[in-house]
Amino acid sequence: MTKQKRSRRLPWLWTGLCLLLGSFGVHAQQNFTISGNVTDKINGETLFGTSIFLEGTSIGAITNEYGFYSLSAPAGKYTLVFSHMGYKEISVPIDLTQNQKMDMEVEEFSTQLDEVEVTAEEPERAILRKPEMSVSKLNIKTVKQMPVVLGEVDIIKSLQILPGVTSNGEGSSGFHVRGGAVDQNLVLLDEAIIYNTSHLLGFFSVFNADAVKDLKLYKGGIPAKFGGRVSSVLDVRQKDGNSKNFALTGGVGAISSRLAAEGPMFNNRGSFLVAGRGSYAHLFLKLAGEKNSVSFYDLNLKTNYGIDKNNKLYLSGYFGRDVFNFDGSFSSSYGNASGNLRWNHIFNDRLFSNLSLIYSKYDYELGIEDFEFDWISSIKNYNAKYDLKYYFSDAFKLDFGISTIKYEFDPGQIKPTGPNSAINELQLDQKRALESAAYINAEHKLTDRLTAQYGIRFSHFNRMGGQPLSIYANDQPLVYNSTLRFYQRTDPVDEVTFKKSESIKKFSNLEPRLSLAYQLNDYSSVKLGYSRAAQYIHLLSNTSSVTPLDVWTPSGNYIEPQLSDQYALGYFRNFRDKMYSLEAEVYYKTVDNRIDYIDGSDLIGNNTIETEILNGESRAYGLELLMRKNEGKFTGWVSYTLSKSEQRTPGGIAGGPGINNGDWYNTPFDRTHDVSVTGAYQFNEKWSFGANAIYQTGRPVTYPNGQYQYEGISVASYSERNADRLPDYYRLDLSATYRPNKKPHKRWKGEWVFSLYNVFNRKNAASISFGQNFETGANEATRTAIFGMVPSLTYNFKF
Amino acid sequence: MKRYYNILILTLFIAVTSCTDVVEVDVPEAPSRLTIEASLDWEKGTTGNNQTILLSTSTPFYDNLSPAPVTGAVVSVTNNDSGAVFNFQDQNDGRYTTNAFIPILGNSYTLNVNYNGERYTGTETLFSVTDISSITQSREDGEDDEVLEVNVSFEDPEGVENYYFLRFQSRNDRLPELFDIKDEFIDGNEATFYYEKIEDEDDNIKEFEPGDIVDIKLLGISEDYYNYMQLLIEQFESAGDPFSATPVPLVGNCINEDDANNAPYGYFRVTQMVQDTFTFE
Repeated sequence: MTKQKRSRRLPWLWTGLCLLLGSFGVHAQQNFTISGNVTDKINGETLFGTSIFLEGTSIGAITNEYGFYSLSAPAGKYTLVFSHMGYKEISVPIDLTQNQKMDMEVEEFSTQLDEVEVTAEEPERAILRKPEMSVSKLNIKTVKQMPVVLGEVDIIKSLQILPGVTSNGEGSSGFHVRGGAVDQNLVLLDEAIIYNTSHLLGFFSVFNADAVKDLKLYKGGIPAKFGGRVSSVLDVRQKDGNSKNFALTGGVGAISSRLAAEGPMFNNRGSFLVAGRGSYAHLFLKLAGEKNSVSFYDLNLKTNYGIDKNNKLYLSGYFGRDVFNFDGSFSSSYGNASGNLRWNHIFNDRLFSNLSLIYSKYDYELGIEDFEFDWISSIKNYNAKYDLKYYFSDAFKLDFGISTIKYEFDPGQIKPTGPNSAINELQLDQKRALESAAYINAEHKLTDRLTAQYGIRFSHFNRMGGQPLSIYANDQPLVYNSTLRFYQRTDPVDEVTFKKSESIKKFSNLEPRLSLAYQLNDYSSVKLGYSRAAQYIHLLSNTSSVTPLDVWTPSGNYIEPQLSDQYALGYFRNFRDKMYSLEAEVYYKTVDNRIDYIDGSDLIGNNTIETEILNGESRAYGLELLMRKNEGKFTGWVSYTLSKSEQRTPGGIAGGPGINNGDWYNTPFDRTHDVSVTGAYQFNEKWSFGANAIYQTGRPVTYPNGQYQYEGISVASYSERNADRLPDYYRLDLSATYRPNKKPHKRWKGEWVFSLYNVFNRKNAASISFGQNFETGANEATRTAIFGMVPSLTYNFKF
Repeated sequence: MKRYYNILILTLFIAVTSCTDVVEVDVPEAPSRLTIEASLDWEKGTTGNNQTILLSTSTPFYDNLSPAPVTGAVVSVTNNDSGAVFNFQDQNDGRYTTNAFIPILGNSYTLNVNYNGERYTGTETLFSVTDISSITQSREDGEDDEVLEVNVSFEDPEGVENYYFLRFQSRNDRLPELFDIKDEFIDGNEATFYYEKIEDEDDNIKEFEPGDIVDIKLLGISEDYYNYMQLLIEQFESAGDPFSATPVPLVGNCINEDDANNAPYGYFRVTQMVQDTFTFE
């Protein structure tokens, strides 16, 4: 009986589902599909973000990360247009009478090395019609033409001159997006998680511009396929390698040199890329003496192999390291390593899939020779994910997939290195966790003017056993001492050990994502977005800038997952036939369970971090404006951000008013005003010029409000957290690029890049510290400025 | 541990730093508060009868070298175990002294200060200290292997939690060198700490030379006082550096019984101490 009932119900369900899906395409039964891959004509690189559309209709598609596209339309005669920033537009007449495959090679405007031909980020129709918002995209060529400090092209620094992205000043690692912390950015290099984006404490980024194909920063409206961080996703893709010819590119600069080799392999069924970069040690340390050395290097690898028309394999890897050595007293080395094996499989002209197996690791080692011990720490993850895209119809596309990440945390080990070491061996508890997710996301054209992108991500976090945990009286790892009025650690009353098969704590979250684009007319649109994201791992850092030695920790009994909700509204407009474009957005973002550290917190070598933290919340809101000139000899943009970022940390289970008396206080990433102007001018075939001008409100800091005498020194008293500010930051940079006469038949192409960083030699404060003059004992404020004016000269070549 | 860590981070930073200079920066000004420097340190092998408590008020941050002594306060210390009360005489220069104090290891003491109609109190326990096992000089140790440093060693008692405060004061210098030490990583071992000065023309810091004299004190302290001094020293040495923690108010163990918002600065400590003097050869 029951069986019969069920079988009767199911067809109803199916019919309903088919009707629903069928309604997405108009005359779906008459539609045919065009699909294929888009590649660069010169080097065979697949192109991400190429716009393909049928002229005179609103039907179009964008290539995915692997250059694949698929679109469908009713039978008929059309002109198919391929359009990509910096490339010649191609129009192909087609007679659509059946499903067809069309691979296309597109050609750059100029094949000259790094020539600047910035056109609109994406063709007008894509910008306006796609619901995608709060996204910053930079062409690697645009990045390369900006003036840079010491001649080293830097992706992260380039992002910082777009609205909503800041750093904590020169010489600080990472970046901040819309008032978020460094650990709230998911940074992916060929899908592998990169835990530290900086070399030499933020002077350079870990991304070698010669090995990078494109990058995309999601400041909000994060698609459902990404998760795990609450502020942003920086998706960096490495080049596949030239599949047509063997090529060498490289550069020689003041601080570092780089070389990349790429070419076809496997009988032209694949290609490879090997890129290396290294700094010259000692250079930084002329003043500090020859005994010290500081250096970094990194290596990028990528290869791919086309098994057949529908199957392709990619293998990519990254390895980078920083090495510091101080006169045999201290030494330190740290870096990221990652590898990714991917399998692209095209099931049919509408269903594309990718399977990835990814490994990544960040670790550091400290050797303290004076006291004869080593300190090591690491985070490792193994990640498997399977992503699919179904091009249902022109009006409806579906992304869906699953992912799982296994984390292994080793927060710290101390090993004595000599028989006379006074330090005892120590191993902090190793931690394990599994983060899994499934998502589905639809891009749905509701009407000719209104497009929606909606999806949901289900995430699950399992803090796995295999470690002891401290138990506290009343479950309070810290309590408020109401007599002396401060937060005090409590001693554990017991310890329980969880077996590896047990779970310490589990969390799950539903993360809805929604964005809408409404096209007002041919040149303007409004967009609306909402997204919720969950973050299960956290970087422990109580300093104003993160350091390479900070440790990641998973959520568990005392650290809840961070949860963010972001709302954004935007207006987008093109002027004068796309020559100018304006992007304006407002956003409001809240993050629950943002931890902060009690006064006097000590995170180093601490096995019980829960005694140092309180759970709080943060909020950020702002206005971002970006006006670009996209075409012509002079290109560039003006960006302005007005924003606020603050947090509040009540006492919670520990009692008491909380940090800063429970009041809201500025996060260290709060910048009221942030203005930047970037321009590039193509003077003639040989000379081009670039300039950046940047102004920013100073970083929030805590200044002393008095002093008292104690133990023979003058002790400063401090008041509210982050209530003061460093002086405002501003600077101007200039660059000139000279390309000697090109000889048409010579393969060798070279260019000289002259740059002047901080032309006015302004001493921008990276920090201001307060203390007593050693000689006079008088209190004084000492400013640390990192870069005055820095001239540099770099030679780049391509062969 | 934290100390080495901070030194390392700071060194990394300085290594890649091009310039520092002294600048004029406006800072906020908080109302003045009472500062209690009640350090009853009992030197091993003495009676410990003579003790001094210093009272002053806080001043604006840039008000340099203008001591603000507090006179007219009533100061006493009570032994909570025996009930004995020790009254301190006002010397009218911010010093309050007694010659009758009796230190007893493990006993708890309470400080009482009456000043401006408000009563301030603090309680602390007297902890013992281990002896200094050796004081030597060397060049090859320390940060720079050509510069003179003085090394102080002591044997940490095994199996008990110990906290120490180590203070170096060079007689040629105004500022001392302070160390907060806990035995978490060195329990039961002989530990050595060094004081070395690296020449710095900007700050007028000179290396040690033969003939220089350094006074050395090692104190056995409570865990709470260790926490207080750790933060005090950290903020004194590096507050405001980008890789140091956000500076915060220091909370000592003295409270204002009449107005909790007007809490005093400083600390009431009762310790056992060993001290010595070292002359570089």
